[in-house]
Amino acid sequence: MRTALFLFLAALLPTQALAANQVALANDVFVERVSTDAQGKQRILLEEPKVVVPGDRLVFVLNYRNAGAQPADKFVITNPLPAAVSFADAGDTRPLVSIDGGRGWGQLDQLTVAMSDGTRRAAQPGDVTHIRWAFQKPIPAGGSGKLMFRGVVK
Amino acid sequence: MTTAPVGGAKHRLPPSCSIFALLAALALPMQAQAAGTRAGSTISNTASASFDTGAGTTTIDSNQVDLLVDELLDVTVDSSNPADVPTTPGATGQVLTFSVTNNGNGVENFVLSTIANAGGDNYDPVVAQIYIDNGDGVFDAGTDTLYTPGANDPELDPDESVTVFVVATTPGTVVDGNRGIVSLVAAAVTGTGAPGASFAGQGEGGGDAVVGSTGADGTDAGAFIVSAATVTLVKSAVITNPLGTADPIPGATITYTIVATVAGSGSVNGLAITDNIPADTSYVPGSITLGGAPQSDAVDADAGDYNGTRINVALGTVAGGQTRTVTFQTTID
Repeated sequence: MRTALFLFLAALLPTQALAANQVALANDVFVERVSTDAQGKQRILLEEPKVVVPGDRLVFVLNYRNAGAQPADKFVITNPLPAAVSFADAGDTRPLVSIDGGRGWGQLDQLTVAMSDGTRRAAQPGDVTHIRWAFQKPIPAGGSGKLMFRGVVK
Repeated sequence: MTTAPVGGAKHRLPPSCSIFALLAALALPMQAQAAGTRAGSTISNTASASFDTGAGTTTIDSNQVDLLVDELLDVTVDSSNPADVPTTPGATGQVLTFSVTNNGNGVENFVLSTIANAGGDNYDPVVAQIYIDNGDGVFDAGTDTLYTPGANDPELDPDESVTVFVVATTPGTVVDGNRGIVSLVAAAVTGTGAPGASFAGQGEGGGDAVVGSTGADGTDAGAFIVSAATVTLVKSAVITNPLGTADPIPGATITYTIVATVAGSGSVNGLAITDNIPADTSYVPGSITLGGAPQSDAVDADAGDYNGTRINVALGTVAGGQTRTVTFQTTID
């Protein structure tokens, strides 16, 4: 099945004017809607939702910008996952995740969950409670970028 | 931050590159979700960033995005009868059991209806009533609630189930082995339709109500199987006399044999064989046998008795495919 992509790039721009702070972080959430046209072609639309229903797939987009004159070092972005959202993936952004409310962090494939019988199983995306990106290099003055992750409304 | 900065997050990502990569690989599952986040609740997301521009660590929050969760309309119906329910021709009060589950995320009422003439079977059960279970899972017309469409459509919380009994009559014309199907349909009162259809402002909590993957209606079929039995009696007589011939002369003994054959997949209850002693003959005391076993003439623990005018053998319940053989003797006066 061919998939046609219709992205509203304009909608991906921050909806909020970046704050007066030296560094600003804007948060946008989109819902992926799939429609099938008369030819059976699937179209995926990113819409800015006012309402969602369980099972909807959400795309969280974080735009950051260093508007100050100094590089921003030790730059860390943390997004606690809303309780009603189950983490799906973060594309190729390789975030650190927490599966215990933000106490421990690691790559998802390195984390394990204790089972009631004393064994441990590999952590699943659904276990994720927090997502974090820790930058290894400072954000230079004027630098900006975008991060994203996806989740499903529980 | 206790963990040293690791992870491959790069800043200055090319615009939307990661999103494009993701969407290309996307295969969106339209999975049926169990209830899920309650309709009317709000999903709020806020991220924070911490950094050091030379004056110590600063933390800022992003804007907050709030999403209202709409009501998803989903329902499933499941037959609770593991196999076809046996019935008999003309039987009333025959019960099929179903469970109706609200798979949506809001409180919803469901209209119940039945379909008995969809075909694929041998006869159409006549649905008499639908009852809503009182919680014990056992049908009892005295304690369960008679369902009237529009008047007491069951209201179910998200993930809540209710047991529903469909009470039907089996037509008298059916024969052994006939099968009759009844489907129970449950439909959301708010509305049904294609998945994704929405009813503006009718969702719990003020949002829309959106039809889920089940179409907001569910159905499942239960079936009756006619399990009937028929009884055939064959009576024969053998005469012996003191002369060693088969002539029916006075003093001759007549041995009657009655074979009862039960046919069909069902069984007969309370089967009894009764035969009057013919005029001008006398019953031979103690001559009743059942399957070769002698029976006493008294009404007692064994099956046979003689009351002065007739013999009687109580066979009780006999399943299809079985036979019972009764004999007794008389003498010609």
